[in-house]
Amino acid sequence: MDLHILDHRLRVISISKNGLVNFTHPLIKLIFLRNRTRCKFFSLTETPENYTVVLDEEGFKELQPSEHLMVEGSIWLPLNVASNGNASSSSQAVGVTKIAKSVIAPLAEQHVSVFMLSTYQTDFILVKEKDLSVVISTLEEEFNIYKEVGGESVPIHCQDVPNGLQKNGKEAIQPTVHPVVIPKNQFCVMSLDPDTLPSIATTLIDVLFYSNSPKEDAANQGLDCIKFFSFSLIDGYISLVMDTEAQRQFPADLLFTSSSGELWRMVRIGGQPLGFDECGIVAQISQPLADSDISAYYISTFSFDHALVPEEDIVSVTDMLQHQRKDPAAS
Amino acid sequence: MSGSKPDILWSPHHPDRYVICDSELGLYRIGPVGNSETKAGTLPLSEETAATLLAINSDTPYMKCVAWYPKHEPECLLAVGQANGRVVLTSLGQSHNSTCKELVGKEFVPKHARQCNTLAWNPVDSNLLAAGLDKHRADFSVLIWDISSKYSPEASVSSEKIRLSSVDLDSSSVVTKPLYELGQNDACLSLCWLLRDPKLLLAGMHRNLAIFDLRNTSQKTFVNTKAIQGVTVDPHFHDRVASFYEGQVAIWDLRKFEKPVLTLSEQPKPLIKVAWCPTRNGLLATLTRDSNIIRLYDMQHTPTPIGDETEPTIIERSVQPYESQIGSFAWHPSSQNRMVVVSAANRVMTDFTVFERISLAWSSTTSLMWACGRHLYDCVEDGAEGVDSVIEKDIATKMRQRAQSRYGHDTVQVWKNHLLAGGSDPQLKSLWYDLFYMKQCAEDIELKLQGNKQSVVYSGIKNIVKTTSGTTESRRCWSGSERQSDVPRYHSEERCLSLRLCGWISRGPDIDVEVFLRSLEQEREWERASAVALFNLDIRRAIQILNKGATAEKGDLNLNVVAMALSGYTDEKSSLWREMCSSLRLQLKNPYLCVMFAFLTSEPGAYDGVLYESSVAVRDRVAFACMFLSDAQLPRYIDKLTNEMKEAGNLEGILLTGLTKDGVDLMESYVDLTGDVQTASFSMLKGSPGEVLKDPRVQCWIENYRNLLDAWRFWHKRAEFDIHRGKLDPSSKPLAQVFVSCNFCGKSISYSCSVMPHQGRGFSQYGVSGSPTKSKVTSCPGCRKPLPRCALCLMNMGTPVSNCPGTGKSDERLDLTRENKLAQFNNWFTWCHNCRHGGHAGHMLSWFKEHTECPVSGCTCKCMQLDTTGNLVPSDSS
Repeated sequence: MDLHILDHRLRVISISKNGLVNFTHPLIKLIFLRNRTRCKFFSLTETPENYTVVLDEEGFKELQPSEHLMVEGSIWLPLNVASNGNASSSSQAVGVTKIAKSVIAPLAEQHVSVFMLSTYQTDFILVKEKDLSVVISTLEEEFNIYKEVGGESVPIHCQDVPNGLQKNGKEAIQPTVHPVVIPKNQFCVMSLDPDTLPSIATTLIDVLFYSNSPKEDAANQGLDCIKFFSFSLIDGYISLVMDTEAQRQFPADLLFTSSSGELWRMVRIGGQPLGFDECGIVAQISQPLADSDISAYYISTFSFDHALVPEEDIVSVTDMLQHQRKDPAAS
Repeated sequence: MSGSKPDILWSPHHPDRYVICDSELGLYRIGPVGNSETKAGTLPLSEETAATLLAINSDTPYMKCVAWYPKHEPECLLAVGQANGRVVLTSLGQSHNSTCKELVGKEFVPKHARQCNTLAWNPVDSNLLAAGLDKHRADFSVLIWDISSKYSPEASVSSEKIRLSSVDLDSSSVVTKPLYELGQNDACLSLCWLLRDPKLLLAGMHRNLAIFDLRNTSQKTFVNTKAIQGVTVDPHFHDRVASFYEGQVAIWDLRKFEKPVLTLSEQPKPLIKVAWCPTRNGLLATLTRDSNIIRLYDMQHTPTPIGDETEPTIIERSVQPYESQIGSFAWHPSSQNRMVVVSAANRVMTDFTVFERISLAWSSTTSLMWACGRHLYDCVEDGAEGVDSVIEKDIATKMRQRAQSRYGHDTVQVWKNHLLAGGSDPQLKSLWYDLFYMKQCAEDIELKLQGNKQSVVYSGIKNIVKTTSGTTESRRCWSGSERQSDVPRYHSEERCLSLRLCGWISRGPDIDVEVFLRSLEQEREWERASAVALFNLDIRRAIQILNKGATAEKGDLNLNVVAMALSGYTDEKSSLWREMCSSLRLQLKNPYLCVMFAFLTSEPGAYDGVLYESSVAVRDRVAFACMFLSDAQLPRYIDKLTNEMKEAGNLEGILLTGLTKDGVDLMESYVDLTGDVQTASFSMLKGSPGEVLKDPRVQCWIENYRNLLDAWRFWHKRAEFDIHRGKLDPSSKPLAQVFVSCNFCGKSISYSCSVMPHQGRGFSQYGVSGSPTKSKVTSCPGCRKPLPRCALCLMNMGTPVSNCPGTGKSDERLDLTRENKLAQFNNWFTWCHNCRHGGHAGHMLSWFKEHTECPVSGCTCKCMQLDTTGNLVPSDSS
């Protein structure tokens, strides 16, 4: 297996719901005018609390500082696992589940905080730049690690990074078991030919920027349904996550999805905003999913984490998580 | 291809059909302009060809890539890859064709929709269609579909779940299960099946080039690279593959797949298409975005460049079919170097043929060949008298014949060289006579005594008369008449020397032309002899010679008439004789007769009628000038004549210039006119003062002549020339470069002989040279250990093969008989550089006439075959 440290330096930002109006211009530029910016990595996720934006430093320059803008202080580096194709995996489980054991669990043990971003095309594991040496020393046994520099993949080793083996924390704290919420709406994960992006532009602008005003109360009525919409444009690839209600607004023949038309249910993790320093949160969810061979998407946002599991597996996942909460020691 | 980017595909089996795909598919037929002129809707492609639109297919939206079915039947089946990853089979203009009816409309749907980047039909197992798709986190990017597969029943289970694909087709034509799935969690940007094995698929993946083997799909060969787009196999060389990234093309050899064997110079704009020419080996065409030229790379098979002569490995050219930007191009499958180009906008198409590079070569004999494409042309000059006479006249033929007749090698009777050259060229005759007289004067002991006068001999009359001093003037009587002549004649040592160089007089203080006159009479040059006699104021002798000429066998009786006219000479200024002669002389055909009367009728000192009569030999005019022009007139005339000769490249002018820098200038214009480097080399070598030999032009002629002899395989002549040259120009002798060292002490065994003046070409002739006391050197002069033995006669080297006279002075060698010379070579020690066995050259030569293997028993070295020049036979007989 190969692990690529991609050539992006990312910032994680939150825009408050009220403040979105101040950022409409730069966001539209980043989404629709690819040729006008040098931003290569852009992701925008709407949650009931706020908007989470993950973008590289070129894109970050577009955003003016404001009281509505909260910036996480670290530089994050995206990691990407590539099976170098020698083993055609027999397991159907994909995404976070696949890398749960090999990447997420070892990093959690080393107290490395990760920020997950799953897309239609692949899964990105974001780690803080300061943790890079720990990441490399932790994972180098399992992976061939490459660092991308100007488009070329350069093999990298522990000794290439200053202050090699340095664990983040000594004592193994028993991770907090966070409460989970399982909203009722169904989600789909989709992609789009970038050339046809202009033809869905109006719908997309409508969904992104004008959605919350009339349905303000709907978002607050319990958590039966949750407002969640994610758009990412990374290295020219578009990925969309939306619920079936939003999906109906788009022309059906333009969005790509699986031929089986699979639908996903969401597990939202966290009762309080999770922060960026706690580790083991992703592992908490992904480990049991991996044990049961259930595939999953995982999208971290500024406040909470979100896992998407196949609709048909939601019952077993619910049982499993409830069991975990009753008897944390058993997991 | 989405709207703005058109592409062209040529039908694999119909050389007159192609498809343009942009937002729709258009099938065109290409044909001669004349045939389709009447039909409406034809598009002219070039001056000779036009295209007719046969069919349009716009059934498949969001086309991303198209591939044409590679087999004959069904003939117009196309696979279209769409933006959502579906692959649709469609056809053009074949609606009633039953063979492909069940295939058309068939769809191949990947599990997860994403763009289809590339399609490739397997060229052998044409049921297999490979599709390369974008990345998906949970899916494969290379799907190989079997187009003959039926609708699979297990898909019906999932078909109830197809809620998103609302535009569902009847499920019998939808295939969802690929035959092979390759490249998990990766993106595939380009694909091609390898021609060396139809089970191998080369794919340009996200970060690497991978070769998948369908017999074992869990294994792949891959190499990490950025150049992963547009992979394509050279149809002429199945291990050669091209791929590109941005503006750079990489050429790979699958046998050494670790890194590209070549990368082509990077273009500023990204490439959009790279294609091998199907009709020409190693020709790659590339196109970049927003460009109006197609770049062609001609990959030669030359291994490593040797010297400056070899061509570079890649020759880059570019062609511009028209002004506007090119959208795409396609090579014609069978017509040589032909392609159709479509513009980036408006579907403007052009049919054109890339002109092949012409390589041209002169042969060392007379012909000129050139190659263009698959044609070889032999160029023969067509003269009025037919081909043979043109070849006869060709300087190369002449030089070859002259080389065989030992032209230039007569160093004693120098003038005889013009006879060796065929004796028919007046310029060469004049040249060799000049050189002969110069040599005679230079060797003249009397002149040597006069204070090194002979050193000026080779500097030419131009320089000699410049220094003239102490000129005396005399008025002599007409010999045999009492009348006082009023013609002044000038005398000086320099003028006398000049006359000798002109060949009029021989040594001695008296001006006595009688010897010269007699020799001219012998050669039946009556008119010339008579003129020379007259210029020496001997009118009676002149008349006598003319009479002789008239009465001689086959003589011209008219000479008697001229003699009669001459005898009536009177110095009366206003006589009828004078008046008539000065006007009628111009009607005389012979220039010498003409100048005789010009001389008699001119005023003293005004001899333009003689001096500028260009048909008269230069030497005669110069001799005349030396006799009758004053010190003031003479150098002016000589200078003028010299420049005339130099400009015309006339070798007669060597008399004036001598072998000086002026002479080289003159020779340069002669060589420019004739190409006769042979004459130039030989004549310049005669100029013993080394100055002219150092002139780079002279060195160039000599080297070219040597190369020419080599090219003719006149190796003996070349060797003779080198020896000849070494004698005349000692600086040209090469130093010994190869020494034979003793096996025991390591010292050169030839050092005792290296004092010999003539060292050959490096191979020491130690066995046969040296003083008579040392003539039998069978042991190393350094350590006294015996020399190796000849593998055939088992005698130590140094033992002569047969009786052999010592070489002695090099001059003597020339007189040796041919047998002796061969015998000498027979004694040489020769050995194989591979197995190191050897012996006497003569023994070895006779051994290898009948054997191919080394004479040493047990050694299987094929020594003679290793020697590439050993199989060549010299074409000169000596």
